[in-house]
Amino acid sequence: MEERIKVSNLAKRFGTFTAVHDVSFTVHENEFFSLLGPSGCGKTTTLRCISGLEQPTEGEIYISGQLVTSPEKKVMAPPERRGIGMVFQNYAVWPHMTVEQNMSYPLRVARKPREQVNAKMAYLTDLLELKGLEERYPSELSGGQQQRVALGRALSTDPKVMLLDEPLSNLDAKLREQMRFELKDLQRKTGISILYVTHDQVEAMAMSDRVAVMNAGAVVQEGAPHDIYANPTDKFVADFIGTMNFVPGTVLSATQEGARVRLHSGVEVSIQGTSPKTGSCILAIRPEDILLGAERGADCEVDVRIFLGNVTEYRVRIGEDLLRVQTNASVRLEPGDRARAVIQHALIFPE
Amino acid sequence: MNTVKATIGRSIDIRYVLMILIGLFFLAVIVHPLSLVIVKSFSSEAGFTLSNYVRIFSQDANVKAFWNSIWVSCLSTAVCVVLGTLLAMLIVRTDMPGKSWLRMLLLLPYGIPPFIGAMAWAQLFGPVGYVSKLYMNCTGAMSAPWRIYSAGGVVLVLAIYQFPVVFITVSGALGRIDTSLEEAARMSGSGPFRTLIDVTLPLITPAITASALLAFVGCISNFGIPALLGFRARFFVLTTRIYSALSIPDMPLATAMAVMLAITSGVPLVLARRLERRQSRYTVIAGKSVRPQTMNLGAWRTPIFVIVVIVSLFAGVVPLISMLLTSFLKYWGAPLRFANMTTGHYRYILNLPMVTRAFRNSAFLAVASATITMAVGALVSYMSIRAKIKGAKTLDFVGTIPYAVPCTMVAISMILAWSRPPVMLYGTIWVILAAYLVRYMPFSIRTTNATLQQVHVSLEEAARVSGAGWAQTMRDVVMPLIRPGLVAGWILVFMPALRELTMSVLLWSQGAETMGVVIYNMQDAGYSQIAAALSTVVLLVILAGNAVVRKLTKGEVSM
Repeated sequence: MEERIKVSNLAKRFGTFTAVHDVSFTVHENEFFSLLGPSGCGKTTTLRCISGLEQPTEGEIYISGQLVTSPEKKVMAPPERRGIGMVFQNYAVWPHMTVEQNMSYPLRVARKPREQVNAKMAYLTDLLELKGLEERYPSELSGGQQQRVALGRALSTDPKVMLLDEPLSNLDAKLREQMRFELKDLQRKTGISILYVTHDQVEAMAMSDRVAVMNAGAVVQEGAPHDIYANPTDKFVADFIGTMNFVPGTVLSATQEGARVRLHSGVEVSIQGTSPKTGSCILAIRPEDILLGAERGADCEVDVRIFLGNVTEYRVRIGEDLLRVQTNASVRLEPGDRARAVIQHALIFPE
Repeated sequence: MNTVKATIGRSIDIRYVLMILIGLFFLAVIVHPLSLVIVKSFSSEAGFTLSNYVRIFSQDANVKAFWNSIWVSCLSTAVCVVLGTLLAMLIVRTDMPGKSWLRMLLLLPYGIPPFIGAMAWAQLFGPVGYVSKLYMNCTGAMSAPWRIYSAGGVVLVLAIYQFPVVFITVSGALGRIDTSLEEAARMSGSGPFRTLIDVTLPLITPAITASALLAFVGCISNFGIPALLGFRARFFVLTTRIYSALSIPDMPLATAMAVMLAITSGVPLVLARRLERRQSRYTVIAGKSVRPQTMNLGAWRTPIFVIVVIVSLFAGVVPLISMLLTSFLKYWGAPLRFANMTTGHYRYILNLPMVTRAFRNSAFLAVASATITMAVGALVSYMSIRAKIKGAKTLDFVGTIPYAVPCTMVAISMILAWSRPPVMLYGTIWVILAAYLVRYMPFSIRTTNATLQQVHVSLEEAARVSGAGWAQTMRDVVMPLIRPGLVAGWILVFMPALRELTMSVLLWSQGAETMGVVIYNMQDAGYSQIAAALSTVVLLVILAGNAVVRKLTKGEVSM
């Protein structure tokens, strides 16, 4: 597979503050790749370095095999020569231009013949469902429409690479969910490589082929969404991706099949997951990995019940620890009820 | 229940009484005099007539003054726009060094009274001015190749004292542009220059246009500069022509020309207001703030920096130094040597009864007009913004009408309204006070509106819910919160009133001189050093006042 974006050992320092530190990753053709992390983790800075809007302190960036940024070799291609499309968080749709003028701008800058511009505009307004709005100004459009104009502008020159900087964060919840499908669909239709920056793990999980989780300026884990969800390599990723219960305890015995762990309250639980070693540890348990209402298992007391529609979430007390548990609607317990809980799967992190 | 209703009823009554009183005050002081000017301009002894206007367009000197006003203001405005926009771009968007210092220097002319500025420029570039003499010494020429006492001089000096309006507005607009809009253009394939043309300039065009209109109004209604630099060259504009007409006195002609002036300056003001409102189309969802990208000037950095420094110095510092030097010079034209310096002019002015009287008068006028306009302004704002009393919006509107009326017309309206029974104020200091009240009322209403809008109504409501009555709420919550704004607003009226020229020069009389009038008359009579010494004192007061305002408003407001 062809490499579309290659970032190696990227670092960006603002004075004494290190925003990005030793970041490397590769985005292949036709791939939807997300940089995921909390605000301030350096994901936007990384994206801006790739776009050429920001100059890194160290490292190299290749786009479609061509070196575009390298402070060591004094290479810094200006953003307009990189041939990439970009969608900004606030869309950055020009308020003084109509929908059509906004979307056709890159083509006009490139001096494309009029017929080609018109054909492209017809295709894009159709693809993005903006037909009939060509003469409108951005102030006359909804947030979702403005966003599609920004997408259309980024797509108009058929770039091989597109950068998206939290493009959905300004939309309301319903529209956001709908746009997730549309973006994914768009990527499949156009065969473009997308580098997507977001702090919303659900968004990243839903759309990406691969995800790089960033924290404090560095990539902490990279992989397919389900891999990262199932096997977070450290506590930060485990906490950031999905919901996780963290319970301190001591591993008493460990085999290939499972482990016996004593929680600090003295309650002993059997874990069907694997454990590397015995001793003090932190257990990481997904709410859906705890089975409530079984015959055996640890004794627990229901503290709070929250009805979420397709699932019901309980907060239960096992010994002194409060854990979140998700069950399907068939389990019906009331606050104060006692039940048995089986921990079906857990990850064990060193303390 | 009954008692509760009764208290509400009573408090509304008080506000209505106040409103009616202010309404009557506005009618007597603003509406009646201004409408007299319009009526007078259309009347002769026989009744309604258009002959006064016919005289403007049939007498050569009047037509000329009218066109002079137009082209001089247009040209000055053009200079303002080019100078102001370029400097704003350089200072906001490039890597030029010393930006905050340069910004301060460039804003300096904003605080200097234009007529004092005109005097300083005459001292620098006049026939025996400092720069002219330097030029003659260096080149051996018999005279400098420029004339400051000319139409060109008027255009140049007007531009110097109006361009800060453009500079401030455009810098603000440039700073507020969402940088991602420009970055999006870069990502679309535009280079830095194309981005400037296609995105940045269109986005700041409304700001440029609005400030250009304001600069135009500032130029066309200015009196001091064309008076001090134009009279000698027999170059007249509308304001100076009105001044001459009043000294004849030819009241019908003066009123007709004042109405013409009001129209030519009022229309751009209305347009500027419209533009401000239309700018809402240009507001887009604000993104996360990224530092604006500054353009690398590269090899041009030093030459551009030097040019900007020279421009900034000549805009503010050099005229001030020239004024200071002149005030210490033994006689005008004396070589600049320490031996030729004297403090005599200061000793002279301190012993001149007219000067002490003028100081007292100006101080009284400034304090009285600032206090009265702020008090009335605060009441009007409170009633229209907070209490939302029916009719208060009308008061707000009437109070801000004078904003569109040139000082010259205000002065004429005062002469018409107060020089016959039952109220004979003309010939006393009170007529000047009345003029100041009219002129500065819009400014104080604007400040009090802005100040009051910053105090959220829930703060007041919280006090009411906590058991405080209306009066106690005002005392404990509203007043403490708006006091800094009120004080700043007070000074913003006090300062220009202290050095006002245009209205007082038309309304003064023996015993009722103001500082502006005394400086103007001294300069006009050829006592440059006395005028310079007086100006220096006034400038010192202005600088001190400016520092106080900055401190009070934490740098948000300055003159």
